[in-house]
Amino acid sequence: MTALALRDRGQAIGLGAVLPLTIIVAWQVAGMAFGGVRLPLPSKIVAAAATMIASGDLPLAIVQSLGRVFGGFVIAALIAIPLGLAMGTARAVERNVDPVVETFRPIAAIAILPLAILWFGTGTSAAVMIVAYAAFFPIVVNTVAGAKDVNPTLLQAASTMGLSRLATMRTVIVPAALPSILVGLRIALGVGWTAIVAAELAVGAKAGGGGSGGIGQMMFVFYAYSIELNRIIVCMIAVGIVALVLDRALRAAMRALMPWSR
Amino acid sequence: MRPAARHTGRTALTAAIKLRLDGVEKRFAGSAGEATVAVANLTLDVRQGEFMVIVGPSGCGKTTVLNLLAGLASPTSGRVTIDDRAIVGPGPDRGVMFQDYALFPWRTVVGNVEFGLRYGPAGAGLDARARDERVRRNIELVGLNGSESKYPNQLSGGMRQRVALARLLANEPEVLLMDEPLAALDAQTRIILQDELLRIWGQDRPAAERRTVVFITHAIDEAVFLADRVAVMTTHPGRLKAIIDVPLPRPRGDATRADPQFQALTQHIWGLIRDEAYRATVT
Repeated sequence: MTALALRDRGQAIGLGAVLPLTIIVAWQVAGMAFGGVRLPLPSKIVAAAATMIASGDLPLAIVQSLGRVFGGFVIAALIAIPLGLAMGTARAVERNVDPVVETFRPIAAIAILPLAILWFGTGTSAAVMIVAYAAFFPIVVNTVAGAKDVNPTLLQAASTMGLSRLATMRTVIVPAALPSILVGLRIALGVGWTAIVAAELAVGAKAGGGGSGGIGQMMFVFYAYSIELNRIIVCMIAVGIVALVLDRALRAAMRALMPWSR
Repeated sequence: MRPAARHTGRTALTAAIKLRLDGVEKRFAGSAGEATVAVANLTLDVRQGEFMVIVGPSGCGKTTVLNLLAGLASPTSGRVTIDDRAIVGPGPDRGVMFQDYALFPWRTVVGNVEFGLRYGPAGAGLDARARDERVRRNIELVGLNGSESKYPNQLSGGMRQRVALARLLANEPEVLLMDEPLAALDAQTRIILQDELLRIWGQDRPAAERRTVVFITHAIDEAVFLADRVAVMTTHPGRLKAIIDVPLPRPRGDATRADPQFQALTQHIWGLIRDEAYRATVT
């Protein structure tokens, strides 16, 4: 990037920051003038964030939650990708599986929480299961779409070169469906991250704040026991920032995995 | 005119029959249940080592004929054979070059050319070194040295066409089936690739060493320039109208295009399909 482009970019960011900064300042001023004990303030949020990061509590909670998200995400991918490929390439499989998938898809991840807790308890496994459930649907739906959308001439080309069905799956259908699969994974990671906060909040409620850990659990404690609104807001912002970082990282991984699409 | 060239140009006409379409009809079911006859009562022999070009206006069933030979479609009635055996499906003995190139966008030039050898039966018995050597030789043959690690979307139309040709040749099929492979190219690239195609096919070598080619085009001059024989098809339904011998000597080149006989043959074939071609432009 040239110096000029850098300056332009700096200006663009500066212009884009006008409204958010105005809101924050107005919030602070109004809060100091009229607010009570229940109103979080930007200055207090920054102070709370500094304390929570310095103590290591916030980073630890994020790491715990991320571990659960990745666990559930991997389980979902391992089931949803092969299933999606089978559904996208074999009519019989699709006809049988699609109604089942579409019946469960509208049921929110958090709605299976009672079952998850009854089966897996209030610890990590229940949270992982809920993430896996939430992440499963975007992956399977996008994998099916990708596997169905393979350019038929490429399949004909493979068949005229005498490839077996398995070789065609591996060398034509999977790479052709890869962009769709990666889109599904990206959506799934976002959905999984959303689900973990809800799951930890709810599991936390059930466990009575009994320390299963994670960012959602942390929020539950601040809400139910110590009633610290500023700290809850810090958690919310942290959730947003982590989601952004995850999404950007996955996009970079997608570009690295698909050098031909650059 | 060199006697040797005339000799090799004629040998194909006495060679064994490689491909045969015998009384073939192909119907497609329409959406309303009515049947469209794509090809009717077609009988055509292609000899071993022959360069057969099928020419005709849009909608004459040229591509259907090629798909029947490739095994990508089966006839509604009649027989399609290779070496007197019925064709029941696609196979590595018949390589196909598709109109839209059909390159794998996620594979580089090398990755595309080696595809059939790596994952299909064409590479059986080849160790990695022999395979790499054959891939390299075919990339060189089509003049793509230096572009080995590029992806198809980084190549021009002419270069993509060369990749498709190198991939086809690397598999060393007995029969080359080519569906308007040069149609999407500009006029200059087209002339260059016509010359190269004949060289790669082996017009300098004895006819016994050439592969059998079925080449589809709607360009009459291209058909005359390349072919040992031109099969002229007409529409509604697709039928064989005439088979024209092209006795122009080989090797052919720029001089061929200026040959009065070349012009006369082109005019003659144009006369056979002119009325339909005109009709096709107004319907």
